[in-house]
Amino acid sequence: MEVKKTPKLASQFWPDFIRRKVRLIVLTQIIIALLFGLVLIYTASITESLLWIWFISFLLLPLQLAVGILILFSVTKPTKDLLGVIIKVTGEQPTLPLPNPNTTKNEQTGFRDALQTIYELSASHDQDKPETDEKASIISDALDMTNCGFIAMDKNRRVIFANKTAPIHTDTNGEKAIDLIFNGSDTLNAWLDACAQESVHDEHVWTRIPDHLPNEEGRRFFDVIASYHKDSATETVLTLIDRTGSYVVDEENLDFISFAAHELRGPITVIKGYLDVLEDELANVLTDDQPELFHRLVVSSNRLSGYIDNILNTSRYDRRHLKMNLSEDTVAAIYDTISDDMKLRAGAQNRLLSVAFPNDLPTIAADRASIGEVLGNLIDNAIKYSNEGGIIKVIAKVDGDFVDISVEDNGIGMPESVVSQLFQKFYRSHRSRETVAGSGIGLYISRAIVESHGGKISVRSEDGHGSTFTVSLPIYATVADKLKAGDNSNEGLINEGNGWIKNHSMYRS
Amino acid sequence: MAIKTILCIEDDRFIGEMYVRSLKKAGYEVDWVVDGNDGLITARNKQYDVILLDVMLPERRGTEILDALRGGKEDLIPKTHVVVLTNFQQDDESRISMEKHADAYLIKAEITPKKLISVIEKLEDNSITP
Repeated sequence: MEVKKTPKLASQFWPDFIRRKVRLIVLTQIIIALLFGLVLIYTASITESLLWIWFISFLLLPLQLAVGILILFSVTKPTKDLLGVIIKVTGEQPTLPLPNPNTTKNEQTGFRDALQTIYELSASHDQDKPETDEKASIISDALDMTNCGFIAMDKNRRVIFANKTAPIHTDTNGEKAIDLIFNGSDTLNAWLDACAQESVHDEHVWTRIPDHLPNEEGRRFFDVIASYHKDSATETVLTLIDRTGSYVVDEENLDFISFAAHELRGPITVIKGYLDVLEDELANVLTDDQPELFHRLVVSSNRLSGYIDNILNTSRYDRRHLKMNLSEDTVAAIYDTISDDMKLRAGAQNRLLSVAFPNDLPTIAADRASIGEVLGNLIDNAIKYSNEGGIIKVIAKVDGDFVDISVEDNGIGMPESVVSQLFQKFYRSHRSRETVAGSGIGLYISRAIVESHGGKISVRSEDGHGSTFTVSLPIYATVADKLKAGDNSNEGLINEGNGWIKNHSMYRS
Repeated sequence: MAIKTILCIEDDRFIGEMYVRSLKKAGYEVDWVVDGNDGLITARNKQYDVILLDVMLPERRGTEILDALRGGKEDLIPKTHVVVLTNFQQDDESRISMEKHADAYLIKAEITPKKLISVIEKLEDNSITP
């Protein structure tokens, strides 16, 4: 069993040392005397007439011990003096008398110089100290006056410095904790985990990071710049720029967007509802191209309704209100819920939709409506960015603990430079701005939804040759325990997985 | 128990008329009220097989109506199915509390009259209880 030792101080060294050495001298002297005595007895060198020698030897033993110890003290005197001075320099509580360098003996032996040097070094050390303290306090005061937050963390991710502006609270253990609610899997801890494994120096920037949940008082928004220097005393330094002023307006806009989107659902309900009813009732009345035109109405209203869902989910996600209810489901059953609509959309735009899922695919943990929305978005994109008559393939396969669902088109594809920005909000490639209508939130919210399942979304694309989007979702059996523990919400999954969205739980470093 | 009578509590005229039209065509007897107070009174005065309940209602919200009917010690409408229909997705708390007292919780924009009828038929199938 490993026993944790507390580090010893320099001032503790001397008493221990001298005790051990005295003990050593006494023991060795006694042992030598005893051995000598035994040899004499054994060889019968001592006769009764020589008993007086025995007595004298016995009486000499204490004298010998005393002399030995005196020699020890005298020999170790310079060491003791040096240690006394060094203890003073270290700033510990002095346990040894401070030696006087100016004794005649010290002057004669030249030891005075040695002691003098340490005293001088110590004096200059003492002079430096107040200056450093003063500098530190000036810097700390100055940092308190800025409206930027500064946080320094040690290698154990403990907060060792934070200025006034920094979003910090002290937890019940008296430890300082950072109040920042990161979005998605891109958290400070995730980044530090990655740094610890593969970086010596690194830097990372997050924008729009709030310190409190919506509706909490004094909510601030920061742009966070983190610098990492492996094994430095302040391994991680966070600079937080308070951008509440500009971001709060965005938040209010999000509330407005959410309200407006909900309002739009009223008319959409009526349009979709009557289209559905009239499709049957007018089946025998419509002629020529009218059924096709009717289809277009249905497709358009479904797409409109899909966009509204995207907008609502995006605003929920941005306000950290997006929540999934995951349950055991099959890819085929999820696809079934959007199948008719997708067929209609592909057909109306002259695309061939080929959907094939293997029968033995394991079940996945999914929020049916949300994954339906993701697949709808991907197929919608495939339709948009492919050519008339093109084939869109939807397939699924097992990959480790995940089921990969891929949507493949052989359309216009995209260059690599575009791929990295694809999942950003409102991102639209240069080309798509010119040729294809869209809002740029479909992929953003799709990634958010997939990651909140503990899954991944990725893309492979070749300019001019089409793209394949792949959604990887956890096989139900691999996460069933976590889900049951978390009452089927995504929280259990997420905390363990990518740390994506922790609804109503704060980031604590 | 075959479902025959339906109470629709819905303040949007177009949506209300749309549901009533389709449900009547499908052979159900439908009463329709537009505000929350009337909704609660009607639901207590007559026994319906199904209540279609909107949430954002004038006078009294759908959540309050459901709470008044089923939130107390005694279920005042033990033989009635309640289908909540809303376009405003609630925060989790009120959604869960509504789901607890309702047989279905649906987003109107995703439910066409045809789908609504199939949901009601499903309730009928499920209600063969001892």
